[in-house]
Amino acid sequence: MFERFTDEARLAVVRAQEEARQLDASRIEPVHLLLALTRDTGRGGTALAASGVDHATLRAALTPDALDADVLAAVGVDLAQVRATTEAVFGPGALDRGRGPVRGHLPFTDGSKRALEETLRAALQRKERRLDTGHVLLGVLAVADPTVRRVLARLGTDDDRLGAGLDSGPAA
Amino acid sequence: MPITTDVTTAAAADDPDTGLRAVRALRDLADRLEVLQVGSARDRGWSWQQIADALGVSKQAVHKKHATSRRDR
Repeated sequence: MFERFTDEARLAVVRAQEEARQLDASRIEPVHLLLALTRDTGRGGTALAASGVDHATLRAALTPDALDADVLAAVGVDLAQVRATTEAVFGPGALDRGRGPVRGHLPFTDGSKRALEETLRAALQRKERRLDTGHVLLGVLAVADPTVRRVLARLGTDDDRLGAGLDSGPAA
Repeated sequence: MPITTDVTTAAAADDPDTGLRAVRALRDLADRLEVLQVGSARDRGWSWQQIADALGVSKQAVHKKHATSRRDR
């Protein structure tokens, strides 16, 4: 499948792994593909930039810490308390060090795998032979990943607007 | 873990988006605690089998998950 990817699209997939690693994720999620696409100079990155979705803003919109204190509070878990008791035993910052670096290749989540399948579908539907970053973006949007949706909403855009931005541009 | 059951938190978790994100955060929290506790158990001389039994998983699973990030295989 990857042999039909343009160099830019391939680069975006490679960069998604870097993005995941930098965020201490153990798997490559659709949002990491989206982050990688913001560094793209091709069709996908251009559509994102046109909607104000650049790398810095997207990174900032993502919760830096997956341990979201607010949602944990919503189910009755006091993260501050858990952190305090953990640090009392294991030392300061123990909870944040806890996961440790993940070595080797990070696996794609099912959502990311589906996004790559949807990338292929997007190109097929448009009868385009090459899979460019525009198709990757359509693929990411097609899986309706909740994190992707939330950050896009936070940045004042959504699937429809980004999709429209793509279709008005020239295909690779 | 302190568990509170007041009405406001119950209402917030009624939203599937919040509820699902909370599940994910709990999983992440559990993963982090697992790394710390497994490390502590190994430092105290626990065998991989003892750790696996305590976690309720297979020895292979716990070894695969933790041995590579620790020096003591």
